[in-house]
Amino acid sequence: MEPLDRDLDETEIELAAEPMLINVGPSHPAMHGTVRVVMELSGETIERCDVQVGYLHRGFEKMCERGTWTQVYPYVDRCNYVSPMLNNVGFSLACEKMLGIEVPERCQWYRMILGELARLSDHLTCDGAMAMELGAFTPFLWMVKARELVWDVMEEETGARLTHSFGRVGGMAAPPTPGFKEHVRAVVDQIRHVMDEVKRLLLGNRIFLDRLEGVGVISVDDAVSLGWTGPALRAAGVPYDVRKSYPYLKYGEVDFDVPVGSASDCYDRFMVRIEEMEQSARIIDQCLERMPDEGPINADDPRVVLPPKDEVYTTIEGTIRHFKIVMEGLKLPAGEVYSFTEGGNGELGFYLVSDGSGTPWRVRIRPPCFYVTGGLERVITGQMVADVVPCFGSLNMIGGECDR
Amino acid sequence: MAKALLQLIQLEFPDAVLETHSQHGDDTVVVDPGAWKAVARFCKEQLAMEMLADLTCVDWPHREPRFDVVAHLHSLSKGQRLRLKARVGDAEGEHAAIDSLTELWASANWAEREAWDMFGVVFTDHPDLRRILTYPEFVGHALRKDYPADRIQPLVPYREVENIEKLPPFDHHEGMSFGRQTHLASRGDD
Amino acid sequence: MPSFKLDGQDIPFEPGETIIAAARRAGVDIPHYCWHPGLSVAANCRMCLVEVLPPAGRKAMMLDVLEWDADKQDYVPAKKPKLVPSCQQAAGEGMEVASSSSEHVARARGAVQELLLLNHPVDCPICDQAGECRLQDYWLEHQGTKKRMHDEIVHKPKGVVFGPTIVYDAERCIVCTRCVRFCEEVVKDPVLEKRERGNLSEITLAPGRELDHGYTLMTEHVCPVGALTARDFRFKARVWFLRSAPSVCMGCATGCNAYLDFDPRDDTVYRHRPRENMAVNQYWMCDEGMLDYRRVHEGRLLAARVRGKKATLGDALEKAAGVLSGVDPERLGVVLSAQHSNEDNFALLRLGRDYLGTGHIYVSGRAEGLGDQVLKHADKNPNAAGVTALCTSTPPKTFAELAKDIHDGRITHVIALGSYSSDATKTEALGKLQGLVTLATREGPVAKHATVVLPVSSWAECDGTFVNAKGMAQESEKAITPRGDSLPGWKLVAALAKQLGLPMAWTKLAQVRKAMAPEAGATVAHATGAEA
Repeated sequence: MEPLDRDLDETEIELAAEPMLINVGPSHPAMHGTVRVVMELSGETIERCDVQVGYLHRGFEKMCERGTWTQVYPYVDRCNYVSPMLNNVGFSLACEKMLGIEVPERCQWYRMILGELARLSDHLTCDGAMAMELGAFTPFLWMVKARELVWDVMEEETGARLTHSFGRVGGMAAPPTPGFKEHVRAVVDQIRHVMDEVKRLLLGNRIFLDRLEGVGVISVDDAVSLGWTGPALRAAGVPYDVRKSYPYLKYGEVDFDVPVGSASDCYDRFMVRIEEMEQSARIIDQCLERMPDEGPINADDPRVVLPPKDEVYTTIEGTIRHFKIVMEGLKLPAGEVYSFTEGGNGELGFYLVSDGSGTPWRVRIRPPCFYVTGGLERVITGQMVADVVPCFGSLNMIGGECDR
Repeated sequence: MAKALLQLIQLEFPDAVLETHSQHGDDTVVVDPGAWKAVARFCKEQLAMEMLADLTCVDWPHREPRFDVVAHLHSLSKGQRLRLKARVGDAEGEHAAIDSLTELWASANWAEREAWDMFGVVFTDHPDLRRILTYPEFVGHALRKDYPADRIQPLVPYREVENIEKLPPFDHHEGMSFGRQTHLASRGDD
Repeated sequence: MPSFKLDGQDIPFEPGETIIAAARRAGVDIPHYCWHPGLSVAANCRMCLVEVLPPAGRKAMMLDVLEWDADKQDYVPAKKPKLVPSCQQAAGEGMEVASSSSEHVARARGAVQELLLLNHPVDCPICDQAGECRLQDYWLEHQGTKKRMHDEIVHKPKGVVFGPTIVYDAERCIVCTRCVRFCEEVVKDPVLEKRERGNLSEITLAPGRELDHGYTLMTEHVCPVGALTARDFRFKARVWFLRSAPSVCMGCATGCNAYLDFDPRDDTVYRHRPRENMAVNQYWMCDEGMLDYRRVHEGRLLAARVRGKKATLGDALEKAAGVLSGVDPERLGVVLSAQHSNEDNFALLRLGRDYLGTGHIYVSGRAEGLGDQVLKHADKNPNAAGVTALCTSTPPKTFAELAKDIHDGRITHVIALGSYSSDATKTEALGKLQGLVTLATREGPVAKHATVVLPVSSWAECDGTFVNAKGMAQESEKAITPRGDSLPGWKLVAALAKQLGLPMAWTKLAQVRKAMAPEAGATVAHATGAEA
């Protein structure tokens, strides 16, 4: 549909009453991460709307073409910034697929644990924000406090709470700290506890349920056609989870369920995330048990992994290796690859095109919430203005990922 | 097992398929742009590709046709994936037109808008082809290799305030002024 | 043509050619250090070893070796085929050579690389060769292992000043003797020699001598590692920030093909490198030419001047038009420049001869210098032949004749391209002119006496064609953006013509070339070829 922007001259005092044009965003508390929705209302019902994204477009894909493959990590971190480790892991897997190398087992478990912690952080933020916007401030604070615990683990491991750029092609930037497993176990216990309390507070509340049930329904065909993946698609009834359908790392060896909704409304999307948090906790428990306590984290490939610093300063081979990897970049073979993992919002895909030199030719990030937000128009048309808040919240559009 | 996909497409469209490959396990078929929609429809209806996972472009400025339009298709029911490619556009980036797939998959709507915005590839019969990630007054197509990353764009004037001195956030001397590649198609004409 | 197989690929070869030379011509690279297509074969680095499979019915020559057996944790006797240096082995019809497809060759390469790095200093951060160093490239491609030696490396002299242009570092040297062979064979001056033996070997100068022949920078160019470094380029720039523009040396009429290496971030030219062209300069360049890149940045004229005072380009063009308009064509002289490209000269010729109607065409340039038997030409101007060709029937007169004509009052106004005068004793005559418009890249006698000076871009800042003494027209490509207010010569001439109200409306170089086509004479020759 054509844009509904109109520059109204201020002298025109009489605003059209039917239909009424209002502008929500981009600077709006309900518009997580700057989205603009121009709506045409008839009373309270939205007749037409135009969702305009791009306010957080930072030109990542262009910037990636100006550095080396390792310099892409800070950019992918800042895509889905509530679950950055999942982006890091996804990009690492894409580069490793292109190189044909596999990381050691310990690293695979490590990546899974950190990834699932990031997923917990993502779902805590999304559901917490949804609750807050409907007026339930307490569960939001509890969930954000739980998120702080996850970030404490991240800070301990990587040095940064949010945008840690921790992944590397062929491994991770550093091995796990000595107290890693105990710390994570404690945090997961706490999160389970917090979630129990949140569920008891929210899920019996009449107002909460009325605002979410039956609101923002989308048909399965529409969802699939729109390219929806992740919790939004699973709430619609399609049991598609990349971890189950195309297992990567060690997801094929751990037990977990994929929660699938049926009504495809905001309530299902909310609940799918709550259940997924429990499943993530299950995965983390199993990974913690199975992760070896010793062993290398990085693959043993001199073309790709940086040497230890003492070797760099004392041997010529170490210096050359460091030099080649840092100055010329990793030489991914010429060609293209599409690699995908389960991000916080769905199928996070990386389409990488390499020309054989150390500089990426094209880094395409397939953002799951770009396609999900593309469906926002279909979801809120016909709903009332107040329903925009839970609908948009349940779709979990992360501005950084949608706009890059 | 997935090799059969490529063979099925080649059997159905013997003239339109230009090349196929399965690098790193991704089945890819390059088709003639004129057959783009027909092949896509075949994939959706006969090969059960219910989802268009992604649609984007790649710019190869020293090759003609210049742009690769790349679509990733996914069959949820069969667990199969396919990459469709077509090559459009001349050396200047003009006449890069290809059919829109919005009629087949709704995800093509925004994906094609982004491809238009970033590359300048026109999708004919798209219901609403306008910029999505950049603002309407943006000049140029940002992801083309000959678009310099440090170009300053025209600023949209404030509405009623006159003669306001609006400065760009970064001067052209600031920020990362160099990149590892300088894909400047022409370093000046003299 | 006879051919042999290299890793299954058919490689044609000339009779007598070695495997590595034939492979290079076919575009296949066999790793090497000491071999160079322009020098004799030394075969001391052993990096180019390949496996020549024995002909049918014969057994390969096997050598006894000791191999590490991981199960027994001990060395056990084994056999391996004798590998052959491809730089020395002449190719034979039907020969089957295994290079990257043979695991013996892969092990040999890894071993040679390890040996070469055994005593190598950890100098990469301060070594100029970083980024274009074969030790780095081959380590990544062929070795990839860590250092096995835990002793201190052998220490040798570092920073030895060999001469006014070259510094030597013996620790980095792999004693491939490319520099020794170059001085002996190409320059015929055997000033370098290898001394000592084993891991103490190093390169040394002949007693009482310095490395001071006219081609010393080529020893740095052939050195595959950072042992020989050019004092001119040391520590100035890192090569991965530099881009290369294929260019032509402006030092003399030989017109050696070169690369101009420049940093696009700040538009600075850092050095010349020779470009292979078997018809002109083979693989080499002289020191004068190598250092000639400095003329892009030193002594440049970057702003227009009117009567000695700085002016804007627009003002200067106006004044220049004022000087030239209404001048009797019989009293007007046009001075072409053998230092400038065909396009610049053609534009000025078009303006002076065809539009303003003068028949008095002169040519100026740098004075003659010393030539030699290797590469240097006595004529120190790159485009003298081009200017002569442009003037078709009547060759241009010399600078001395111009001075005489001015002195006799026959010429009162002059438009000149370039500021060199080929005869230093005659430049005072220029002071007698009523009006002198000079289009120049640098300060010089012709610019000194000018009424109006217009700044021209040097050869590094625009594309241009230059014809060398052999009559070959070669194209030099643009490297950096024009400095200061300068513009390409042909553009300034067109702007001047516009001021004079003449219909010369060129905006693109392609238009100038098109107009030039029937007059330029020789066809444009583009050099090709990889670097050794």
